[in-house]
Amino acid sequence: MKDARNLKRERLAPATYVLLAAVLLVTMILCVCAGSVRISPGDTVTAVWNTLWGKPVPENIAKNIILNVRLPRVLCVALSGASLSLCGAAMQGLLRNPLADGSTIGVSSGASLGALIAMATGFTLPGSAYGGVMVLAMLFAFGSLVLILSLAYALDRSLATNSIILIGVIYTMFISSIISLIITFSSEHVRSLNFWTLGSFSGVNYDQVKLLCLALIICGGILLHLGDELNAFAIGEDNARHVGVNVKRVKLIVLITISVLIGVCVSISGTVSFVGLVMPHIARMLVGPNHKRLLPASLFSGAIFLLLADLTARTLMSPVELSIGVVTSLVGAVAFVIIFYRTGKAG
Amino acid sequence: MLRGDHITVRYGEHTVVDDVSFQLEEGQWLMLAGPNGAGKSTLIEAIAGGAVYTGRIELGGKDIRSLKSGQLARKIGVLSQKNTVSYAYSVEEVVGLGRYAYRQGILSGGQDEDKEQVERALRLTGLEDLRRASMLTLSGGELQRVFLAQVFAQDPEILILDEPANHLDINYQQQIFSLIGDWLKTPGRAVLSVVHDLSLAKRCGSHAILLNNGKCEASGRIEDVLTPANLDRVYDMDVSAWMKGLLSQWL
Amino acid sequence: MSKKHLLILLAALTLGSSLTVLADEGITVTDMYGREITLAEPATRVVALQPSDCEILCAIGCEDALVGIGEYCDYPESILGTRVVQSGEETNIEEILALEPQVVLMNDMAQSEEQVKQLEDNGIKVAVSHASDIEGVYEAIRMVGQLMGREENAEALITDMQTTFEEIKEKTEAEEEEEEEEKTVYFEVSPLQWGLWAAGKGTFMDELAGICGLTNIFEDVDDWAAVSEEQVIARDPDYIVTITMYYGDGPTPVEEIMEREGWQDMKAVKNGQIFNASDSNALSRPGPRLKDAAVELYNFIYGEGSGETAAEAETEEAAPAA
Repeated sequence: MKDARNLKRERLAPATYVLLAAVLLVTMILCVCAGSVRISPGDTVTAVWNTLWGKPVPENIAKNIILNVRLPRVLCVALSGASLSLCGAAMQGLLRNPLADGSTIGVSSGASLGALIAMATGFTLPGSAYGGVMVLAMLFAFGSLVLILSLAYALDRSLATNSIILIGVIYTMFISSIISLIITFSSEHVRSLNFWTLGSFSGVNYDQVKLLCLALIICGGILLHLGDELNAFAIGEDNARHVGVNVKRVKLIVLITISVLIGVCVSISGTVSFVGLVMPHIARMLVGPNHKRLLPASLFSGAIFLLLADLTARTLMSPVELSIGVVTSLVGAVAFVIIFYRTGKAG
Repeated sequence: MLRGDHITVRYGEHTVVDDVSFQLEEGQWLMLAGPNGAGKSTLIEAIAGGAVYTGRIELGGKDIRSLKSGQLARKIGVLSQKNTVSYAYSVEEVVGLGRYAYRQGILSGGQDEDKEQVERALRLTGLEDLRRASMLTLSGGELQRVFLAQVFAQDPEILILDEPANHLDINYQQQIFSLIGDWLKTPGRAVLSVVHDLSLAKRCGSHAILLNNGKCEASGRIEDVLTPANLDRVYDMDVSAWMKGLLSQWL
Repeated sequence: MSKKHLLILLAALTLGSSLTVLADEGITVTDMYGREITLAEPATRVVALQPSDCEILCAIGCEDALVGIGEYCDYPESILGTRVVQSGEETNIEEILALEPQVVLMNDMAQSEEQVKQLEDNGIKVAVSHASDIEGVYEAIRMVGQLMGREENAEALITDMQTTFEEIKEKTEAEEEEEEEEKTVYFEVSPLQWGLWAAGKGTFMDELAGICGLTNIFEDVDDWAAVSEEQVIARDPDYIVTITMYYGDGPTPVEEIMEREGWQDMKAVKNGQIFNASDSNALSRPGPRLKDAAVELYNFIYGEGSGETAAEAETEEAAPAA
């Protein structure tokens, strides 16, 4: 009888990582090789290989498409997927709520409002035209998180109930009405910024890849380091304090880290919803809720999921391109309902 | 070991704990008693760092506010009234978290020490067979034993309990209280707990504080505090008559 | 019955057009959604929500009848003082009712059926235009002409446009004989930053490409569509036409395309063959100014840069006398 309740994941964990890493690698290769324009794998490999080792790349169409369009996009998508999924996993642990995610609790829409305000007011940082958008996106993401959390705490200190999701939904509606207001009253070139609501990776370049990479290394490093603390939070905030976690400090660090990561992602690709919600759950099914294993697994699975979603968006109706947000929302909404019912039963 | 001087906790206009002082010495089991809303749990939260208070709480002569959260956790372990779990952690993982405070910083006791303490805690609470079980599959009694094991693994000097067996059936109640009683036998330890059941309090405790409306009504040795006169006044009823009536059914 | 009405009756009978005139009940026009609109007499108070309808109205000499305009109506400049009633979802129906127009001109893309119903319940006629290709533009011009009782002006405007397109076509055919291979063009409707959109088959832009002797690289796509960047690079057009507006800061739309990574080896980018019209609206609206856009595009392709002045010269004589 007791065996039936036992978790068999310990033995599985190392194998799961190897598997996930392998799948990620294969997916990335697939995504670089496949696209709306057919390019032979030979040309693709030559282009990437020669660039990696600093050899001259043969001048052909493959060079431009693979190296300047497809590769930066694939890298950006993988890094964003990993970042969003990591943020989702950290948030679900910190708030002890399996439905928490940047898009469900309103952080992403806060970030897009920040980005939009920077665009509308022409706010830039000296030396970097793009920095202003990013910094405002981060600040608004953090502000939104703090606001939503204080409202949720006032209602229910344990955060375990779904009042936080409800507040997030209301907040998202509120923000989208502000966004429409800004779009209505601002000059015409802000009107095209509607794309922020669905997300898009078209036109990304290596600068953005570098930025995402840097953000993920720093923020991801911090979050991966906080595995024990997040475990304690996932079991209960009071319990975390009782075993000696510096609750306030850890919470602040996690919230800032999440805001920075989501801010960077949103300013580059807009709101790509549901990645951060769905992928940590799938990772949890694979390796269990322990954040020391869950965070890296979420990182991998988020990257894989978003890569496949983007591949679908790029190739399904070629030469017409779908919005990536459409694909993730379709898959995500269904998964959301399934998770909702599963957790409902478990609780 | 632990002493509180003039502790006051306010939530807005409402004073929940009003100028309460207490002292806990080695080997003592101090019971916090009193009717609902007397401020027992809040007083415990203040000691555990979960409530803002005025006054001074000293641990071994040091203000606990000056201690880092990890230092505090190595001295004081807390078992809450009710613990629920959202994710499928294994029993071992939850108990292992009790060692969190030892894994940080230079005072780290090393992995072997951690493992040993976790094993001992699992053995003490009889959870060895359940170590790999998912927390989501446990019964309320098993769940509470897991958190007791966690606090044992934490190896504190002082154990603080808030109604540790409140919603458990008497079999588990007995298990939990005898486990705590055994734990207290080791020198250098003390227990502070909130217990609703006055008979249970009288049986296990050595000392008591009787609270009412946030104020301390009586404190000292348990037999001097939980007297019929004190209880009748605080609970505004004939407590001993009620207790006797209940017990006489079994005689 | 006036002489004009007789003429229209004759025209209706002979051409078998949808237009009918009943002696006592004024004029009846069928709009581009097949809905019948009956007016006692030609409209004298009109609200136009769509910039292209607004331009048509002014081009056939009915600017005086314009009492209200949609949010984006900005051409010709002389209408800018007219009452703005918003457009799309935010269309201010109350404001329209207060202006007491006989007819509201609207487009099927931005407006909704509920709005139509609301207006008609209040006794205001609604004419819906729907023009994605040049033939559609002619139809819209005819419809507006009928509503306003300015059929001659409408026909004159159509003839003028047709003549311009014919002339360009003849010239390009002459030019094409010298060229060996067919040149291709890519119409960029939305820039990379917001996700690429291109004009496909069945759009007036695709037709303009044909008139100028070019093949649209997205002939295989219907209407307007989001396309992948890879496809644009792989299809490597000779010309790129962007309708992105320039607001005076940052790189111009042409510069922005030149700077895109991975685009630098495309023929159009290497040869600097990227066209951004002096007024992008002329190219993006299904209205009378399409012929100006066509002239400007022709001059850009064959006139090697001397295009702008030529286009302006032709614009002057474009509007027929009212």
